[in-house]
Amino acid sequence: MRNKRTGLIFFPAFDWAISPTHPEREERLLYTRDQIFEEGVLDLPSIIEYAPRLVTTHDIARVHFCVPRVQSQVTEAHLIAAGSATLLGDSIFNGEIKNGFALVRPPGHHAMRVVHGNRGFCNINNEAILVEYLRRRHGIRRVAIVDSDVHHGDGTQDIFYHDPDVLFISFHQDGRTIYPGTGFTTELGGPGAYARTLNIPLPPGLGDETFHYVVDNLVLPVVKDFQPEFIINSAGQDNHFTDPLGSMRFTARGYAEFTRKLNPHLAVLEGGYAIETALPYVNLAILLALAGQDYSYVREPENWPSQFQDSPERVARVQRMVEQLLSVWETRDQVDLEKIFGAGTFYQRRKQIYYDTDYIEEEQQEKVRLCPSCPGYITIDSRADRGYGRPLRVFCVSVPFSACAACQGEAYEAYEQAKEKMSHFAYVYMQDKSTDTCLAFEREKGQEWVSEGPKAGE
Amino acid sequence: MYIGVDVGGTCTDAVLLEQGLVRASAKVPTRDDLLATLLEALDMILRGVSAETVERVVFSTTMITNLIAGKKYDPVGMILMPGPGLSHQRYRYPTDVYIINGAIDYRGREVIPLNLRQVDDAAHALAGKGYHKIAVVGKFSSRNNRHEKEVEARMRWNYPNMHQELGHRVAGQLNFPRRVVTTYLTCATREKYEFFVRSVQQALQQRGIGGNVFILKADGGTLPLESSLEVPVETIFSGPAASTLGVQALTPPGETSVVVDIGGTTTDLALILSGQPLLASRGATVDDMPTHVRALAVKSVPVGGDSVVERVGKEIIVYSERLGLPYCLGGPLPTPTDALRVLGLTRLGDVEKAREAMDTIGAPLGLPAGEVAGRVTSLVVETIAREIEGMFFRWEQEPAYRVWEVLQKKKVRPQTVVGVGGGAAGFVSQIAARLGCDPVIPPYAPVANAIGAAVARPTLQVTLHADTEQGVYSIQEEGYQARLEEHPFGEDKALELAKNWLAKRAARYGLDGDLGRVEVTRRDVFNMVRDWVTVGRLIDITVQTERGILHYVNRGGTGFEE
Repeated sequence: MRNKRTGLIFFPAFDWAISPTHPEREERLLYTRDQIFEEGVLDLPSIIEYAPRLVTTHDIARVHFCVPRVQSQVTEAHLIAAGSATLLGDSIFNGEIKNGFALVRPPGHHAMRVVHGNRGFCNINNEAILVEYLRRRHGIRRVAIVDSDVHHGDGTQDIFYHDPDVLFISFHQDGRTIYPGTGFTTELGGPGAYARTLNIPLPPGLGDETFHYVVDNLVLPVVKDFQPEFIINSAGQDNHFTDPLGSMRFTARGYAEFTRKLNPHLAVLEGGYAIETALPYVNLAILLALAGQDYSYVREPENWPSQFQDSPERVARVQRMVEQLLSVWETRDQVDLEKIFGAGTFYQRRKQIYYDTDYIEEEQQEKVRLCPSCPGYITIDSRADRGYGRPLRVFCVSVPFSACAACQGEAYEAYEQAKEKMSHFAYVYMQDKSTDTCLAFEREKGQEWVSEGPKAGE
Repeated sequence: MYIGVDVGGTCTDAVLLEQGLVRASAKVPTRDDLLATLLEALDMILRGVSAETVERVVFSTTMITNLIAGKKYDPVGMILMPGPGLSHQRYRYPTDVYIINGAIDYRGREVIPLNLRQVDDAAHALAGKGYHKIAVVGKFSSRNNRHEKEVEARMRWNYPNMHQELGHRVAGQLNFPRRVVTTYLTCATREKYEFFVRSVQQALQQRGIGGNVFILKADGGTLPLESSLEVPVETIFSGPAASTLGVQALTPPGETSVVVDIGGTTTDLALILSGQPLLASRGATVDDMPTHVRALAVKSVPVGGDSVVERVGKEIIVYSERLGLPYCLGGPLPTPTDALRVLGLTRLGDVEKAREAMDTIGAPLGLPAGEVAGRVTSLVVETIAREIEGMFFRWEQEPAYRVWEVLQKKKVRPQTVVGVGGGAAGFVSQIAARLGCDPVIPPYAPVANAIGAAVARPTLQVTLHADTEQGVYSIQEEGYQARLEEHPFGEDKALELAKNWLAKRAARYGLDGDLGRVEVTRRDVFNMVRDWVTVGRLIDITVQTERGILHYVNRGGTGFEE
């Protein structure tokens, strides 16, 4: 499957912004474009640039419950960003390229399963859409996602929290000091996917040395042990020492080293808002690393390598954390899950979700069926308060792609029940990944929409 | 009256146009004595015509292409300032390269200062090795040319006779490696090109032709001959551009067509989309080296009328080599031309010999000559048709960096396949059938290239890049950089400034009064926001003179202006 070239989709969305002065604005990848063009890397025989394409609304509905519907949560730019990831995925599976870089805007790793609006600059989760697309289209199962953004990839974590076939590892600045305030070592996945979620919250100010300590001693061994069929890097670049939102001290070269070591099939750009001092260099370095080119000459102007000495006390804290997480990983099959999650037919948790961009407060009650023969179906009772009007309450049912017949049956019952109850839910959704069918019911109109994936051969 | 002359590798074609009509045409072999060749061609078309009536002469030439392909250019040393980025190991060229300190970033700010000691050392070493020509190129020099200019000044002080070529003056577009190559080739071919220009001027003078003289560029535009001395490399690949413009002039306006120019060993393909020749998105590649030279999107397929055909086992294979003339014309081996002869699709050569050629392939397979000929032509047709489909596919796959660009992408297919060149007649109808198009062999197809040269328009472009936060702007094509005088400086002012530069440039090239409509082909404005406050704007504006051709050319009747 692996030949020599690296695929690039560069989609800077020069005509799209959240708002004129928002960090997620037209200018964000402008200097990256200049750097990449001036270096002439697109002329390298080892790199092939593709034109982006749009993802379908069904590809989104397979992952997200967009309220009220997909079209109301995404702009064309979102469709293009997600479509770029799936196009590169296709090109990897049909053997055209060995790996790829979706250097695209807008980002997606804060977008959770239920989408009431934009949070953390994200509406839909490009990586999650890619994973479910690849499972459908190319029949894979096990995927590892490593999130190297300075912010916790809480959206990706939420979507795969109960999926035993997705390993999600996120290292980021400690949630007590930065948005979204989650991603602690205790968040380890649900009862059916214990230790498939690993979080390494890093104390602010740490640099490449500690970064690579975590990579070498935790990320790489765990990913290797998990034996994924496909590796994705959520390539946020705001751990860079010049980032205005983060307080870490990683360098472009540190990012490139990490890319080389992880050797992901696909890197997908996430955050990174030092648009002049970091992005041109980090993006170039990641691209070169993916293409197997020498990146040792990439050097941001402000970088004096000896400038950063990590505080020994903080380094020791990270080392202890790595040790602890590694032992969680190694003993994941021996732990008493009932002791942690309790017994019963369902595991449930309540979640408060804040949409910082759109000022929405969401309250969720998430239930997972504890099933001995499959990961179990999930139901979510979600109530979103926009601060005006009546809160919007919706009910969502998600059937995993490897669901057993019993769970599938129960899930449809839950969906029908939610439709019946006269008052509660304005919208009821069904997402059956096992048959690739999505349903949406609108109470006010009493109408149901169905979307199905392409049949074989399409 | 207009004259078009295409000086090709084997043939020199010339036409004389009078009010959109071909008054005379000529085809003579290109000989080593360029002056004699030109005079011969001119004499043929000017028979009985007074030289004073010639208003305009346009040349296209493969001279620079051949010089570069044959590596018959002068040695040029290089001083490069790549700074951080790609590995410096990449900057290896078939000459002596000195990499010195100094770096500029994407906004034109100095990142690493220049080290004059290193300049002196490099210059000393290059001079010691006998170099008289040096290309000086820095990364992002088009955003700030200070380092290149400082190197130039320093070297001129120490070595006043050293000829230097600076990257920002040769190629202002982004892409450092391409700028290096383009600067290198410009430096290397300048003197030899000057010889060509002088021969042309001499030929014209000897025949008393006093009209304006232009040279065709790879992008299908013309430059005054004298001005082209500054940019010799821009004349590479003007041959295919000439044929494409010729087809544009000979076919109805607004059509989407493929130009198929089938020669002896190669077939050149070009696209005309809704009546306009398609420009390549990246600069031309010369001798395997990517450059910044703007060119039409032309694809060269290594198959032609003289390609060798052989049987290998039970398969018939068309090779890319040529080993002489077709068998029916006295050559050694069977060729596609022999196949066409057998099928009655060409009148070239001896039909009996052609049949013999097909039989040598077909006999061991038990196939009659007609069947073999059919298979050979289908092989050639299939090869060319696939390449045409590939060109359209690649055009659709051009990257898009804006939402609207992605959304407006559409599938376009040609309506007509237009054949020019010697081998065209036999193949074009079949290629068109394969692609579901109408075949067209325009009148004067054999001299379409010379017609294209004759009707080519002067084209000038100006690309302005302004950074209002730093208060600077640059004109890419001129290598000019200066401070912005007006404050505030917005999009409208930028457009006005760009248009002024276009007029200035036109005047310098002696083209004023003949500019036509000015087209704005790029208009990008980015707000620079720092800490939630807009601190400036980055403005990119490209204006150009109208593209296209001066005249359509008609078989009979009167010519019509566009």
